[in-house]
Amino acid sequence: MKALVLDGCREGDYLAMEAVLEMTTALAGRVDDVEVVKLRELVISACAGCFGCWTRTPGECVVQDDAATVLRSYLGSDVVAYITPVTFGGYSSLLKMMLDRCIPLLDPRFTIVGGEVHHLLRYRRYPKTIVLGTLPSPDAEAERLFASLVARNGFNFHRTFEAEVLVGVPDPPSARQCAERLLDRIGVSA
Amino acid sequence: MNALILVGSPKGRKSASWMLGSGIGEGLRDRGVTVQYGMVHHELRSGEGTGKLLDLFDSSDLVVLAFPLYVDSLPAPLTRLLELVAERKDRTAAAGNPRLGVVVQCGFPEAHQCDTAIGICRRFAGFTGMRWAGALAMGMGGSLEGDFGRLPGGGKKILDALNKTAEALARGGDIPDEAKAVFARPLMPRWLYTLTGNLGWRLKMRKNKAQSPIGYRPYGQG
Repeated sequence: MKALVLDGCREGDYLAMEAVLEMTTALAGRVDDVEVVKLRELVISACAGCFGCWTRTPGECVVQDDAATVLRSYLGSDVVAYITPVTFGGYSSLLKMMLDRCIPLLDPRFTIVGGEVHHLLRYRRYPKTIVLGTLPSPDAEAERLFASLVARNGFNFHRTFEAEVLVGVPDPPSARQCAERLLDRIGVSA
Repeated sequence: MNALILVGSPKGRKSASWMLGSGIGEGLRDRGVTVQYGMVHHELRSGEGTGKLLDLFDSSDLVVLAFPLYVDSLPAPLTRLLELVAERKDRTAAAGNPRLGVVVQCGFPEAHQCDTAIGICRRFAGFTGMRWAGALAMGMGGSLEGDFGRLPGGGKKILDALNKTAEALARGGDIPDEAKAVFARPLMPRWLYTLTGNLGWRLKMRKNKAQSPIGYRPYGQG
């Protein structure tokens, strides 16, 4: 079993970096292979909104940069963990830059999911997805928005994404507990 | 009053976000407001452009974010700009009480799919000490390709809602509920939008001379 960690934090964000470390350790105790991708070290350009990945080269972005490598790794994984500082209730721009480039994973055609219109799935199998956000201090509104965003992202892939928010100063035991809880919730056992 | 319209679409002046944002911007200008525009994707490519946008943000009494919904949220470069603004506000307290408004559209029929993105903008406003002026959210954004005239009724209701929004913002008010309701109303039946949308993808593939089928799996899994 393989896991991919998408590290969406910036250098110096010790709380989020702690979350990455503890998630990686928790995963290493349950899966055979863990790959950590530090998005801040990659060259990933912003989605150009051209829909070339749907109507020119179906399934592949027309821009060739590190995003394609991440997408291959994403599809080859059984579990994907997003780690991000909760940014006004959303993801960091670093993580968002990559997620905006994930639309080639979907088929443009419309279908109904949970009573709403979404896109068809392009692939037969997608990894289970968990999201660990970090906040330096409690912020109920940001946490509520974050939960809503993660749930909506799950609808896009016709499944449930699980989320937790780690609040406070860097504290390895708390970060580890959050990570373990998320893995329990998606049924990944040692 | 100084207003800044930030266009969050990578397509800049060719985008639906530009149509909607400039609709508000021109309405503000007609009422004596000084209006500037910023193309976020383009400006954030350079340090100079980023600095310019941040300075404009700081000197505006009203900022309107006009953007397409990307993965249930704001496009990444617009998120980056908001991060930078918030970092700056940590150092310098916001002068006066600037306001933040939003106009967002998504490619799905349901306008409520924009709600989380609007919440993020509202939280940003609270975080940076801006006053929230409300949001217009529209579904079926795919119908807005370059021209209001393509919309049912020539887009008169949408143009009227943009005008009413500009009028309210120019006198210091919030985006009117009446305009929000017009925006949230589906432009056509859902079945018709999805039918024409699905047909549209295939027509674009043909126009682009796509070499693979629409459901092609370049990364394996048969």
